[in-house]
Amino acid sequence: MKYLLINIFGTLLRGFPMPCKTGLITIGNPGRDAPVFLTCNFILTVERVKRALKGLDCWLLVANSKGINVWCASTGGHLTNHSVISVLKTSGIEKLVDHRDIIVPQLSAAGIEATVIRKNTGWKILWGPVYAKYIPEYLERNHKKTSGMREVRFPVSQRIEMALMWTFPFTVIVAILTFFFWPKMLIPLVTLTFLLPLLIFISFPLYEKILGSRKTEKFSKYTVIFDFSRVPFLLWIIFLIFITVYSSISGNFSWGSIVRWGFASLVIILLVSIDLMGSTPVYKSGLHEDRLLKVILDEEKCTGCTVCVQVCPRNCYSMDTSRHIVTIPRANQCVQCGACIVACQFDALYFRSPDGKTISPDTIRRFKLNLMGKRFETKIAG
Amino acid sequence: MCSYVLMKILESSPSRYDRGIRILSLGKLDKIYDHLASYIRQGQRVLDIGCGTGALTLRAANNKAIVKAIDINPGMLEIARQRAQKAGLEKNIEFSEKGVAELNDEPPEAFDVVMSGLCFSELSKDEIHYALNEILPKILKPGGLLLIADETRPENIFLRSLLWLLRLPLVIITYILTQTTTSAVRQLPEKVERAGFTIETVHQNTLGNFIELIAKKESDFQN
Repeated sequence: MKYLLINIFGTLLRGFPMPCKTGLITIGNPGRDAPVFLTCNFILTVERVKRALKGLDCWLLVANSKGINVWCASTGGHLTNHSVISVLKTSGIEKLVDHRDIIVPQLSAAGIEATVIRKNTGWKILWGPVYAKYIPEYLERNHKKTSGMREVRFPVSQRIEMALMWTFPFTVIVAILTFFFWPKMLIPLVTLTFLLPLLIFISFPLYEKILGSRKTEKFSKYTVIFDFSRVPFLLWIIFLIFITVYSSISGNFSWGSIVRWGFASLVIILLVSIDLMGSTPVYKSGLHEDRLLKVILDEEKCTGCTVCVQVCPRNCYSMDTSRHIVTIPRANQCVQCGACIVACQFDALYFRSPDGKTISPDTIRRFKLNLMGKRFETKIAG
Repeated sequence: MCSYVLMKILESSPSRYDRGIRILSLGKLDKIYDHLASYIRQGQRVLDIGCGTGALTLRAANNKAIVKAIDINPGMLEIARQRAQKAGLEKNIEFSEKGVAELNDEPPEAFDVVMSGLCFSELSKDEIHYALNEILPKILKPGGLLLIADETRPENIFLRSLLWLLRLPLVIITYILTQTTTSAVRQLPEKVERAGFTIETVHQNTLGNFIELIAKKESDFQN
């Protein structure tokens, strides 16, 4: 029941952080050699991880991520080495188990450095699967991940969840506004606000291909809406045709109503289109200039340790066993999360911007992205 | 009357943090910090936990103390470092990106004074317990001082409700703008006392939402 309620509210309002208590949670009857897992303190995540761990005997550490989900908190500098060190030392887990292995979500790799954690606490980081549901299989396979367990996907259930995240707050605002200014349109407008974003997200696979090809081109800041809106515009035109046909058939055709509906739906579509790419796990946000960065591999420094293969959520990397180094054959799938650069202890990876500038691993480790996709360092310089 | 909730809005952009805090607290926080810093003597070894942009650190360094300043936010530390440089105090200050849990490698009895402004309210219950019981007793010299200024929660139910109502709009604005909120530290004097320290003075403002605490590690300290 509690799980259901948290899921409903958590999903509708998931755009907002929802912090819960940090510290240690006991699952089942864990002994001194039971596995130790770590997650963030976003309440929805904690509940889902607890559900995924049901039936196992283990310990779950909830680290402070300021109530933000694992991936966003790691790339945004809220789930950091400090949060992990703190929960390891202050939760009392060190007195409860004899081993020093901690399984952390793979998506936290952009914010957590295994070497730093090891040096400070003696704990060894094991990069778990991307999704908590794979944890039992991950344990059965003795901490070996299949490529499927490493990759983020955007299935229909998640698309609906992200659509709801956008559509719910919008719908509430639209409902309040129309209630006061245009009460008789309340129900149709609210329905429209609710359904259009759902439509855009659910139909994602239809236009995914177009987006892939556009990603490499260079856009100015002001194309945030428009670099994505070819598709929403298309949907908008289809919608316009639909209401024109519908009103003609039902005999209520009037230009006035077409213009009004057209305007209302256009506004909704444009609002939802802002940062639509950022709402998917398979594209970098259109708001973030980091989307233009390329990961560069310094083959001299690479030792073929394959930690990048382990942490990349897009399966960009492959191991070249003959030369004993990694290669990046699927670089076009990269979402510039930076996890591989942060994780590489030989500094063999770095970002290069389109104008040829290098962003060093150190910068990426120290300065995380804020909501607008800017690193703090650039702000000081400016 | 100050509300430290808005601090969160400012924290997201460290460069504007100081001016904002000054406006929010109507200059009161400056006075509290000045008062805390008046306990610090020349040549003392001082630790600032959660130094932020260096409000307490710079004051201590100004009193010619040798300061170690820690914070987990690299952006804030960078600003503190720049301010120290501008004031010509950087020689007396060592900045370090650390949280309280990472202080266990400090040598025993390394500090005459440990101070902290608006930081304990950011810590979890476990972290406060760890800091007060495991870290501070070890790294403070016998007779050393603990100076804390922080947001707190009135024990009186009436005051608490009043404060809650007054803070509500700010909490909502903060939540919308930065999607986060502060939490007050609860029963700080009791926790400090339970860890074995002797409380010298405790000041609480009229609304009971802010506390200034000075405690001592007696020479016969027992944890």
